[in-house]
Amino acid sequence: MIRTRSRAGAVVAVTTASAIALSACSASAASPDASDGGAATGGTLTYLEHQAYTSLYPPAAGFYPNGALVNNVTARLLHQDPATLELEPWVAAALPEVNEDATEYTFDLRTDVTYSDGTPVTAENVVANFDLFGLGDPSRALIVSEAINNYERGEVVDDDTVRFHFSAPAPGFAQAVSTINSGLLADATLERDSEGFGPGNAAEIIGAGPFAVESEQVGTSIRLAAREDYAWAPPSAAVQGRPHLDAVDIVIAPEDSVRIGSLVAGQADIARQVEPQHEAQVAAAGLEIVAAQTNGVNNGLSFRFGHPLLADIAVRRALIAGIDREELVSSIFSEGYPLATSSLSRTALGYAEQADAYAHDPALANRLLDEAGWQVGADGIRTRDGERLRLVVNEALPQPRSRDVITLIAQQLREIGVELELFQGDQAAQTAASADIDQIQIYHSMVGRADFDVIKSQFSIANRNTLQNDDESGAPIDAELEALLQRVASEPTTEGRAAASAAVQAHLTEQAYVLPFFEEPQVYGVRPGVDGFATESVGRPDFSDVSLEG
Amino acid sequence: MPYALRRTAQAGLVVIATFVVAFLLLQALPGDAIVARYASPELGLTDAQLDELRTVYGTDRPVWEQLWASATGFLTGDLGTSLQSGAAVETLLAAALPSTLTLAALGFLAAVALAVAIAAVATFGRAEWLRRAFRSLPPLFVSIPVFWLGIVLLQVLSFQLGLIPVINASPAQALVLPVLTIAVPIAAPLAQVLIRAIDDTVAEPFIAVARARGAGTRWLLGREVARNAALPTLTIAGVLFGELVAGAVVTETVFARTGVGRLTQEAVANRDIPVLQAVVVISAIGFVLINLAVDLAAPAIDPRLRRAVHA
Repeated sequence: MIRTRSRAGAVVAVTTASAIALSACSASAASPDASDGGAATGGTLTYLEHQAYTSLYPPAAGFYPNGALVNNVTARLLHQDPATLELEPWVAAALPEVNEDATEYTFDLRTDVTYSDGTPVTAENVVANFDLFGLGDPSRALIVSEAINNYERGEVVDDDTVRFHFSAPAPGFAQAVSTINSGLLADATLERDSEGFGPGNAAEIIGAGPFAVESEQVGTSIRLAAREDYAWAPPSAAVQGRPHLDAVDIVIAPEDSVRIGSLVAGQADIARQVEPQHEAQVAAAGLEIVAAQTNGVNNGLSFRFGHPLLADIAVRRALIAGIDREELVSSIFSEGYPLATSSLSRTALGYAEQADAYAHDPALANRLLDEAGWQVGADGIRTRDGERLRLVVNEALPQPRSRDVITLIAQQLREIGVELELFQGDQAAQTAASADIDQIQIYHSMVGRADFDVIKSQFSIANRNTLQNDDESGAPIDAELEALLQRVASEPTTEGRAAASAAVQAHLTEQAYVLPFFEEPQVYGVRPGVDGFATESVGRPDFSDVSLEG
Repeated sequence: MPYALRRTAQAGLVVIATFVVAFLLLQALPGDAIVARYASPELGLTDAQLDELRTVYGTDRPVWEQLWASATGFLTGDLGTSLQSGAAVETLLAAALPSTLTLAALGFLAAVALAVAIAAVATFGRAEWLRRAFRSLPPLFVSIPVFWLGIVLLQVLSFQLGLIPVINASPAQALVLPVLTIAVPIAAPLAQVLIRAIDDTVAEPFIAVARARGAGTRWLLGREVARNAALPTLTIAGVLFGELVAGAVVTETVFARTGVGRLTQEAVANRDIPVLQAVVVISAIGFVLINLAVDLAAPAIDPRLRRAVHA
């Protein structure tokens, strides 16, 4: 049984007072049992995690094991509905007031929200949170949040009103405050340094979420306890008071077969990261597979056109035509991994379909390469002026089955005379090599974030820069692309941002810069009898509405 | 120089050499831990911000300066901080060591028991076929991958038969399968050496003399054979400490146990140099101490060695 969070067609636009808004569309994806009629209270849920967390500092919560904790332990100013991607108040009493060019955000705060150490959420405390997340503190090795751009300062307007000032338009800020990267922390927690957010300190990381960390065994398990006094759930939440569960045990089980085996054997209730090759085993045992969409830039390849071999659009088009994505998705993945139809996921904000842009056509690929002067050599690999058509791609270690993906497309590309090599190495080696176009010419990656900004995060030279669109002087090679990306992050209106995002996607297609493979989900296995399991907008688990039957 | 003193000095030199070589090798790897932790595109930090972090963690200083700082830190008990989590390495080790020591100690005891049982049946078993079967066990055991054994034990005993839970197990339950897993590959060479030593001893003329004077098999086994077979077994036991450390990496990962092995595996994956450095040095100290103890104990067990070392 596969449940996929996807959306059909309807477009719902939400507009805040100043037309800062986020639009989205969705088929109802909330769990079928969200009605909450007779959900039982009590019980302890056992959740299997793949790795131990590394930090509970919210801007570092992008790492899934960190995010699973931060999402349940902290409350945010706003809440983003994972299905519609609409924003609604949470710790804020209402959606923010935003000035015309989106450089000032004013939030009215609820006055009844408390942290799990009993201290209240105050205007001073909220400003202190964002001053830290928006500016970082290098002396404590605390980084700036990727989601917050152009942050200048926070201001306490009165006891329950805060205002944030930006040096340039920051239309993504409303969504940014809803992400786990903006999880609000108590004053005592804000004083910690990077080490103080690390393993061994979980019980002292104080948030205002539905759960609090009760105890921790470093590297092995963490117990979350429900907060009895939790009474500030977002309006759309099925449970308005304390969570149904008494506690959640998050247990680390790094080995795939152990995690899946113990889930199937009934020793656990939910397991994260069910690999596509294990889905059949989990489904056959009568468990539910939940493939939560991550609503961002699709899993795929970025062709680094700054490299001499890829500077010619004919070569890039030939690579796209030479790769059979259908074979890739059907032989390595499952139906929980829908074939990509743009660089953005169908459920991402700003998605614009790129029809027929990625068709498999080996004949076309061969013709393009022939015409570009690449001659097939004795070993089947093309050369031109003595230079081999040999390209290196990184292994995307955090992504599912990256090595298998690269191995398969290397076989496919060999058919058209292109040699594709996988860069071998651990995460540090991959990251180091990926910054060097002489080592990595094709970059395999994805990024999840439910805001228009996500496309800028992936391609802008100031962010992940997956295309390496900057020359030695740091100037953009394709200045038009960079300008379009900046527009996505600075247009003050939803319509403007959507149009800018569509223009970026069209440009990526025209120039054959990217080949998206599939819309990457986070895949969970859920035991029957577990009701109400949901995920936030980028697929992190949310235990607030979960109940156990019998 | 007296033997004991000479051996101790050698042991110290080995530890120091391990420290320096490990440090230099870890530094020579491409990419550093700042890259591993902070340059991951998920965080979207700029090069300037990364350089700031390098300054905070001191990884921008020259290698010799870092080596000196690390060495003086080790001498004063300050093992540095993990670049991955920011936690003090002492804290991580303090959380991990007891679990691994328990696993290793019980695993080793189980291995010795298993080896003695195999060797006893293989040499004094009642039937020829039984002796043959048990003689073929050590080669079989040594060729079983620890990883595979762990998963098979889990699948059968825990997932299929439901005898022992893996998740939320009591401390005692949580030890059964890992101890068994780690004991098998260690029992194999132990049993092999033990069988060989028994064979050799039994062939010695003094055994024939003892038998002729009316000694029974049990008496021979307990007094003469055991004492003579102990020395080679003890020597190989020292070497097997390395096997225990390697076994812990795999066993702890498979069984989701905390410990030095898991710590090592994660530190390797994340290029967490301070943690790796500490693990390497502590393993080296363990290895050296055990072998030192074996070398110093050998003359006590075998009087023939006493003359040799004093000569």
